[in-house]
This record gives sequence, C-alpha cells and structure tokens, in this order.
Amino acid sequence: MAHTSTIAAGGAALAFPGHPPDRHFKWWIIAPAIFLLLFIGLFPLIYSLGVSFQHRTMLEDDKSFAGFLNYAQLFRDARLWQSLLHTAVITAIALPIELVLGMLMAQLFLERLPGRQVFVSLLVMPTVISPIVAGATWRLLFDNRYGPINQIIGWFAGKPVAALWTVKPDLVYPAIILCEIWQWTPFMFLILLAALSNVDKSLTEAAEIDGAGYWRIFVKIVLPAIWPVMAIALLIRGLDLVRIFDIIWALTQGGPGTMTETISIYTYVQGFQQFEVSYTAAVAFLVILMLTVIVTWAIRRMGLAK
Amino acid sequence: MKMLRKLTLTAAAVMAVGWTAAAWAQSAAERAVNEAKKYSGTTITIVWEAGLQSLDPLHFSGPKWKELTGIDVKVVEVATAEMFTKIMQDYRSGAAAYDALNVIPAWMPDLANAGALEVLDPYVDKYGYRDELQKIAPTYRDNQMKVGDKIFGFPDDGDVFLMYYRKDVFEDAANKDAFKAKYGYDLAAPKTWKEFDDIGQFLTDKNQPNMYGAGFFRQPPYAMYMFQERFRNEGGKFFDAESMKATINSDVGVKVFTDMRNENKFMPPGVEQWGFVENLAAFLQGQTAMTISWPPYGRWAEGYGTDQEALNWVPKTQIAGKVGYALPPGGHPELAAGFALSVSSTSKNKDAAYLFIQWLNSEDISLQRVQLPYTLRDPFRTSHYTSPEYLSRWPNAKDYLGALKAGSETGLLDLSLLQTDKYEEVLRQSISKLWGGDDPKAILDQAASDWDAITDKIGVDKQKAVYQTWAAKSGAYPQ
Repeated sequence: MAHTSTIAAGGAALAFPGHPPDRHFKWWIIAPAIFLLLFIGLFPLIYSLGVSFQHRTMLEDDKSFAGFLNYAQLFRDARLWQSLLHTAVITAIALPIELVLGMLMAQLFLERLPGRQVFVSLLVMPTVISPIVAGATWRLLFDNRYGPINQIIGWFAGKPVAALWTVKPDLVYPAIILCEIWQWTPFMFLILLAALSNVDKSLTEAAEIDGAGYWRIFVKIVLPAIWPVMAIALLIRGLDLVRIFDIIWALTQGGPGTMTETISIYTYVQGFQQFEVSYTAAVAFLVILMLTVIVTWAIRRMGLAK
Repeated sequence: MKMLRKLTLTAAAVMAVGWTAAAWAQSAAERAVNEAKKYSGTTITIVWEAGLQSLDPLHFSGPKWKELTGIDVKVVEVATAEMFTKIMQDYRSGAAAYDALNVIPAWMPDLANAGALEVLDPYVDKYGYRDELQKIAPTYRDNQMKVGDKIFGFPDDGDVFLMYYRKDVFEDAANKDAFKAKYGYDLAAPKTWKEFDDIGQFLTDKNQPNMYGAGFFRQPPYAMYMFQERFRNEGGKFFDAESMKATINSDVGVKVFTDMRNENKFMPPGVEQWGFVENLAAFLQGQTAMTISWPPYGRWAEGYGTDQEALNWVPKTQIAGKVGYALPPGGHPELAAGFALSVSSTSKNKDAAYLFIQWLNSEDISLQRVQLPYTLRDPFRTSHYTSPEYLSRWPNAKDYLGALKAGSETGLLDLSLLQTDKYEEVLRQSISKLWGGDDPKAILDQAASDWDAITDKIGVDKQKAVYQTWAAKSGAYPQ
C-alpha cells in the first residue's frame, strides 16, 4: 500500500513511510475534545472566580475590583450559614432514611415474588417525575382544604385536622423530608436491588450451613459485597441533597421566614432575585470548596478510590 | 409675478396648516396606526405577563395591530416573578431581544436608573400623545409614569384593592338587628379595621362552617401588599425621612401584624395558605362574606365573561347580583402592582415599539382592552369609569366602576425605592414568620434591622433621595 500508516504499539506515534513517527500525534487527536471541555467547564469557572472579586450587581454598572470583600462578607452573613445548616439537617435526616428504606425494599424484592417486575416499575415511578412537579403535587396533598393528607389523619384522629404543613415551623421539615423520601427512596432501592442481586449466593449459603444467622451474614458477607455500589449511591444522593431546591421551593419557598432555606435556594435568591452577581459567585466558590473537601474525604473514607 | 408667488406661498401655508390640523385632529390611536404603517413588515417583540394577561396581545391587540399596520407582534410570556430579571438580563447582555415591555411601576426607578428603559418624552411629543396621556386617572398618571421628570412608561392597568362584600348578608334584617344589638352601630361595609373585626367575628359566629365573616389571600406575596396598605392607613411610615432608619417596627406596625394574625381566627381554617385562586373560589362559592382583592374579583363575581374558555377555571359564581363594592377599611386602597408600558432602550425598532404602546394605551383601544373579561387589565382612564358601554356590562357595573374610581383617587402606591424587591422580600419573609407563629414585635424588629442593612449597602443618602421623591408623591401616604 502506498500510504500505509500504522499506530505504534504504545499508540504514541504515527509512522508514515519515509517520515519519522510524530510523537505528539496523540495529543493532536484529543486536543479538540480537551479544548471543548476546558471551554465549557473551566472558562466559566475562572470567569466566575474573577467576578467574585468584583463589585458586580445586575442593577449597576460597577465592575471595579473588590479584593476579598465578598469573601469577607461570607463570614458575616448569618443567613448563609443558616442555609448551610438547613441543608446539612435535611441531608443528615433524609439520607439515612432513604438508605434504610431502600435496603428494606430491596431485600423484600430480592425474592421472586409474583408481579415483581410490575411492582418494581411502579415503585420507581417517583424518580422519573421532575422534582418541581413532585413538590407542587405534595403541596396539593398537604393543602389544608383540598389535600387528602389532613383528611386521612382526621379519619384516624376521629375529628377534622387542619394542619398547615407548609406554614407552621414544626411541620415544614417533616413535610419536606416526607416528599424527598417519597421521591428518592426508589432510586436507592433500585441501586441496592441490583447490588444485592449480584452477591455471590454460594458464600451466603455456605455461611448458613455453618450456622451463621441472618444479621451476621448480612454484616460480614452481604454488606462488604455491596459496599462499593452502596457508597456510590450514598455519594450521589448526598450530593443531590446538598443541592436540593425544587421540592422546597414548591412547598415553602424557604419559609416560614428563612427557616427551610437551603444553600441552593439562598444562592438562587442572591443571584436571581437580588442580583448580587459578585457575591453569588463568592457563595458558589465557598460551596465548591466545601463540597470538594467533603467529597474527597468521603471518597477516601469509603475506599472508593481503590 | 410677485403676486403669484405670494398667492402660491399663502396657499401652501394654508394647506400645510390644514394637513397639520387634520393630522392632529386624529385620535392618538389613529395617529399611531398611520405612523406605524411606515414600519409595515417588521416584527416587534413585547414582554407580557404570562397567563391571562397575555391573551390581550395574543388574541386581541396583537392581531388587530397587524391588520391595521402590517407589523407583527411577538409576545414573550414571562411569569411575574421573572419579568424584572428577564428585562435586566436582556439589557445587561445587550441581546436586544425585546422592543416593548410591561413593567410594574414599583420597578421603574431600578430599571430607569440602570438604563434599561427608553425615555418616552421625545416620542410623546413627536407622535402627539401628550393630551391623551393627561386623561389617565390622576393617581396613575402622576405617580406611575415618571422617574424624576422623565416619562419612562404609560400606566396601563388600574390595579387597586377593593373590598367585596355580600350585600344580601349585610342587608338581611335579622343580621342587621342582631349586629346592632351586639355592637351598637349599623351593619354596613366596614370603614375601619375595628368595624371589620366586629363584622367578621359576628358573621363567623353566626354562620360557620357554611360561611365565614371574611377570607383574604394570605400567602406572603399578596399579604405583603395588604400590610403596606393597612400600615399606612393606620398612620405608619416606612422610614424616618431624615435618618432613613426603617420604622416598620413602630407601634403601628406591631398592631397591624398582631391584628392581621388575630383576624385569621374568624376566617376559614387554613386561610394562611390561601392565594389568589383559593380566596376567589371561597368568595364566589359564598363561603366568605367579605374579601379584599384586585378588580377582576368584582367582574367574575357577577359572572362577567366567565363563560369564556379562558376563564373556565374560575369557579361558577353563586353570588351574582349579591355583591357590594367598597374601599377597604381606612379608605386608602393599595394600588398593588399594576403595569406600565415601556420601550426597551436596546430595541432596534423603538419607533414601531413606541407606536404600538401608544396605540394600546390610547383612549379608544384601552377602553376595549379593559373590557376584555379574560385579560386582567383594569380601568385606568377617567373615561373608563364613565363609559356607557362598560356601565351596561352588568346590572351593578355602575357601583363597581364607582368604587374603582374612588380607589384610583385615594389609592396608595407600592413602596418604590432603589432595589425595592429586597425590601419586599424582607416583608414577605416577615409575613411567613407571622403565620408561622413568631412574635410580631420580634419579627418587625428583625425586618427593620434587615431594611437598615439593605439601605446601608445601597447608600443612605442615595436611597434617602429616592425615598423623599417617592414620599412626596400624592399616593405615597394618606393625604
């Protein structure tokens, strides 16, 4: 062949007859993709970092350099830290409940039950609904006049119940967490069901023959076997919970006051309602920094890097 | 020869004067149409509130304008809460996606100061609109049109809170006797909040759970306007005009907050969650005897236009012919929200956009628009209140228009400062805390502190100047 070309064994160089192999060819091949990724990923990040050191708001033309003013403001902003606390509380409550319920459901559906496929499909339905729609639907369910939840509680209580789920401070968190768990426990269930289905049955059967109990088998054999998958599921859901927005926005808009305002809601309010462009960029970088530390720690702790 | 030239010049001058006179004899709407024909074949884009409001340009004014001038109207529907953001984003990005705008008057200082709105004075003079502009009801004309001494928008929606009450219940002889015996005065539409409380409690005690004395929308975005109205009616001032320190936590503020929460007790259970639709449904179905809301409630309560497809979500009224109209207690209703028509400063079709809003806002066309039952646009011109056509729309339309006119004369403007929404957000949060059960004094102390922080950040002197200009307007505080 007149124009034979070969990729060298290491994929590092292209050899044309009569020409020395181009050592940099592999870089030329991936350069467009890298450029695109940097352009859409890194450029906005660097740009936002620059903006966070300015005085920008959408209402004024001032683009002057602000130094660390916006970052210093972060430490004085009580509402910001409260919103982070609210986010942490919701995550700390919802994540374990979703894990436990998901695990119980997965254990239940591990056995070959009649109509299993249909039930699994139905159970997964909430996860395909948009969170804002789920939140709006739950708002209707919680409605004092037309919602069925108060009516059902009223049947059990034997008298009409007029609980204001989205208004009263003692009810708003249960309402949010109930909605969140309803929507996302099926995700945990599906992942764990897949993981449990792949546990080597010969090991559990051998342990049973040796006289090990259910709990011991679960802790010593099943849990280590499904741990990598479970850890990934926890990480994904944990990150989802940190950026929770839609459900709370639909249910309470962060109220009463700012009692259920999460970091995503706070960032949205600052950026898109109050137009504090530079300060919002500083908030975003604080969140990025915190998440990077937490996720790195979690990945190491969970052994996912291995 | 000299004589001939003289004659020719005289004839030309007479003709010119004649043409000019003929041109100026046209109505503002006709003038806008004739001038706009120059721009036939172009497209203008207008931002309009999503939902019922936008059916006006989509079904009525847009197609009509196209037919008259050949100019296409593209309507960008935006949710109210997003309108300010979208307009500012368009301006800051320089996208120039919008030509004409619907603007809530309270936003006007922010938008005008940012440079997002075109100054309309040159166009008003160029296209001879000044005379018709003067015929807009004084409160809207004098308060919702200018920033400084420049026109930035045409008031185009006579939003005002009215009290709607059940005439049949108030005129019932047994009710009247029992009420007079208990409270010592006649049962009639309440003129003070004390009377409102008495009547509300009386009717609830007598009729619940079938009917309650009153029901209000209580969701924070609506209740925020009700607070602004009531606070000022009872003598409150938002700021100390000299120091610009917030004074919403005054005794008046605390009393208003306390009363507002106490009144929920004689309203239907769960009223704290009510928005526009829940409150409307309760009133139209006869479950509440009094309510306060925007003008469409009055029309729909009489069944006006509710047979149209666009309004098929409005509950069938069970109280047609039984509705009384009055000003809310205190007599100075909130001119809550409203809309003005403006031109985007980045528009590439400014003349065409201007001519469209002049035509929309003109005497002839606006009268047709405010009678469209589905578009939520309310009477705002002096002539609207006395239009024989409108007065004949339903049997007691005269009372309705009379109440709207009275409201337009004594109405109170929404607070309008630099970055108004930040102040309003604090009020919205405060109200949600109020319904949550927090202490009114503590809530308002926090709100005042938050307002002070916002003012400090904007700049006390800068904000003070804007506030003093606003406070000097006829509709800022009860006169």
